[in-house]
Amino acid sequence: MKKIAFVICFILTFGSGYAQIKSNEKLVYAASYNMSGLMTQLAQVTMNTETVKTTKKSFLHLSFEAATFSKWDKFFKIRDLYETYVDPATLKPSLYKRSIYEGGYTKTEKYIFSANGNSISSTTKKKNRPETTKSFAVGASTRDIISMIYKLRTVNFSQFKPGQSASFIIVFDEKEYPVYVKYMGMETVSAGNLGKKQCIKLSIAAKTDKLRGKDKNLIWITSDAAKVPVLIRFSIPVGTGQLTLASASGI
Amino acid sequence: MPLEFNYNNMRKLFVISAVVFAVLGIVFTVLPMGTIAFLPIGIAFVLSLLANYQSKTNQKRLPKIILVIAALTFLVVIGKVVFVKDVVVSDKQFEQNKVESKKEDIKDLEGL
Repeated sequence: MKKIAFVICFILTFGSGYAQIKSNEKLVYAASYNMSGLMTQLAQVTMNTETVKTTKKSFLHLSFEAATFSKWDKFFKIRDLYETYVDPATLKPSLYKRSIYEGGYTKTEKYIFSANGNSISSTTKKKNRPETTKSFAVGASTRDIISMIYKLRTVNFSQFKPGQSASFIIVFDEKEYPVYVKYMGMETVSAGNLGKKQCIKLSIAAKTDKLRGKDKNLIWITSDAAKVPVLIRFSIPVGTGQLTLASASGI
Repeated sequence: MPLEFNYNNMRKLFVISAVVFAVLGIVFTVLPMGTIAFLPIGIAFVLSLLANYQSKTNQKRLPKIILVIAALTFLVVIGKVVFVKDVVVSDKQFEQNKVESKKEDIKDLEGL
């Protein structure tokens, strides 16, 4: 399930293009997993944005929440929360937190990014293990997975040609991963309460064993100014699945 | 005689397979597997029909029972798909953790 959570986060990372990220935006997805060729709905994924102010400055709080539907809770309950606090203008992260509960397994992580973005102080706590702290160097452009989701919405994919890629670096589980996003063209896709929308189709690849197949990890994002991710298909070692947009508000 | 022997073996195979898939169908129906349960139920239904066809008049009881079980589980799955909505139950502990986490985050952000 950790892989699934990673992939869901990871794929959602590859959102949209050159849109201003608004506060109080809410995107709700239904997460399905392929079982014997049939998609079964497992969980609800919610992405929220909110402005948070401290005495010194204002942050945009970006959160990603995954919760299994009640019918699954008795068998395998998931309550995952990924959060990041970013600069509203640059979307550069200052604080990233991850709290997962997956079928009894728990893990919490906190990354505090240095002011110049070249290092991270992390605090990690896994179930039945002592808390560990660590500092490690990262590239100045390295982001957490959630802030990457929204940062990608500032990428102008309309200027891309089919086959053209963009590259990014994310930090996950205290490791940096290069990520490649390939523009594949335009398609019309059903987008929940938004109706049918013309979308940009992107293929995601990364140097990790968490994603499988060539052009099997795909995301469709609306080609309008909101750049909402509406459909995500993923292929991981334990199977395939998808996230479909159920509702979008505040966009 | 050899022909009857083959028929009997085939009947046994159909009956045993039908029972196995009917049990799987029941398990899938109890679990929140959604429409996936139609797969074992459908197979159990077909196998029980074949077993019934292969059975002599005094052997048709078990295939018919499996047929009824398959039909009932099919109806239960239909009912669950139509009437049971996918909802996330509000988790008080989770919500409380979020509130406390946010307070802690603000403290961290103040220190940056």
